[in-house]
Amino acid sequence: MSTLLESLRSPFFQRALLESVLVGAITGIVGVHVLLRRLPFFVVAMSHATFPGIVLASVAGVSLFVGGWAFGLVVALLIAALGANRALDETSAVGVVLAGSFALGVLILSARSGASTDLSAFLVGSVLTVTRADIITTSATGGALLLVLAALHKELVLGAFDPGGAAAAGYRTGLLNALVLVVVTFALVTAVPAVGTLLAVALLTVPALTARLWAERVGPTMGLAAAIGAGSGVVGLCLSSVLDIAAGGAIALTCTAAFGSSLLLRRR
Amino acid sequence: MLKRLLLDPFEAAFMARALLEVLLLGVVGGVVGVHVLLRRLAFLGEALQHTVFPGIAIAFVTGQSLLLGALVAALVTIVLLLVLARRPRVDPDAALAVLIAGAFALGVVVVSHRRGFQHDLTALLFGRILAVDTRQLIETALVALVCVTVVVALHKELVLLAFDPAGASSLGYRTGWLDLALNVVVALVVVAAVRALGTVLVIAFLVTPAAGARLVCRRVVSMMAVAVAVALVCGWMGLALSYEASVHHGVRLASGATVVLTLTAGFALLGAAGAVRAAVDRPRR
Repeated sequence: MSTLLESLRSPFFQRALLESVLVGAITGIVGVHVLLRRLPFFVVAMSHATFPGIVLASVAGVSLFVGGWAFGLVVALLIAALGANRALDETSAVGVVLAGSFALGVLILSARSGASTDLSAFLVGSVLTVTRADIITTSATGGALLLVLAALHKELVLGAFDPGGAAAAGYRTGLLNALVLVVVTFALVTAVPAVGTLLAVALLTVPALTARLWAERVGPTMGLAAAIGAGSGVVGLCLSSVLDIAAGGAIALTCTAAFGSSLLLRRR
Repeated sequence: MLKRLLLDPFEAAFMARALLEVLLLGVVGGVVGVHVLLRRLAFLGEALQHTVFPGIAIAFVTGQSLLLGALVAALVTIVLLLVLARRPRVDPDAALAVLIAGAFALGVVVVSHRRGFQHDLTALLFGRILAVDTRQLIETALVALVCVTVVVALHKELVLLAFDPAGASSLGYRTGWLDLALNVVVALVVVAAVRALGTVLVIAFLVTPAAGARLVCRRVVSMMAVAVAVALVCGWMGLALSYEASVHHGVRLASGATVVLTLTAGFALLGAAGAVRAAVDRPRR
């Protein structure tokens, strides 16, 4: 307990706490759209596919966010183009693209010497080294994403539950779909400093799925998912400090534990 | 020149073992991959490669056999998936995502508790294809043999099930058991490949060659043949390429990742070939 109180006083830990609460809340809310549109595999694919962008950005010395977003956009377009081929279903297209782009990231890293040490920071995050600038970027992106989701809430929910109806009512459903993919990609990249590319999947799916076990309506599900995401951030970070384990892993594991216990409690 | 590029690297024993491992994985990945494609199981393969990670990590930390750790973790995944998918509020895709997230996080936590964990983590995630030993080769060969035998023996049933699930069950086939058998085979392939390629690149052997073959073939058996051929050729070239770049040009290219990228390049070439053929074949009026 004393180690926890000690770390609570350090500015690193306070920044980490703020970042993981922000990221948890944002990804929790965006995650509800991921579930509504059955995008979990897309999220997994993007978490691998944005990796080379982040690596390239770090090699070139530009912002990791920009690299991740730019490459994520390219990959999303590539998946859409391949999926349009009649011979190939979407799932296989996603599989090919994610394996190839992840290998590209590994290759670029391996070509730089001493690369392996940087690698784990991208993959599992390093929330304790988050800077003030990271927190500002996270809040700004998160605010923008939530604003977009709130403004288009009715249209997005309609499009998810009844695509045919939305199209018949004159909404541009293709555009709405693309918008959700872009929002998800941005949320994913925003989570990278805190939990890394691979564990961002946890925050974008598990809190929303847990909330879905308790709530019926979309609005309350989002609120609950945000609370679970933020709460997992706090609990996971404290656990990582007490037990001396990786913070990203601890946060993701806390989410999963919340899901597991909800599953048992809601057994009927 | 060609001999120096394609044959000389494999005179070293560790390169020859790596080549043999890649070729074995190419055969089993190509054959099983076609079924993964037909049944759209790519996400299952992706999930399994992440969920075996904690099994390997725990085996690694406690000094047990990595193969055993991976095997247990893969079987636990399949059981958990069956249990979760029965809950009406849990979408199967979402269930897979939860398993991926939880398992990966568990693996990271287990490894991170040790000193120098970044090095271990990298080895577990990206594999050590150049460090494959004879025992590992024998294990891979056995797993490959079992998987190919099962898939060949159940070929007719699996293909029927893929194209017409309702017809298969009305003919009296036990579709649940067939599904389970295929899932276990996919799990075995992932387990066999994971030590060589690491837990994030295995999916390439299961998905990419078969998807490429699908772009140029219509029949299931010819798809399998093309997928195996692509995996063998690209695996060989990838290893040779990474050796050439690392040894003669001073650019360190990770072998596993290079093999995966040559597979992806093979996929792109097949895609181009398929597009050309479709343009030529198009009936003229």
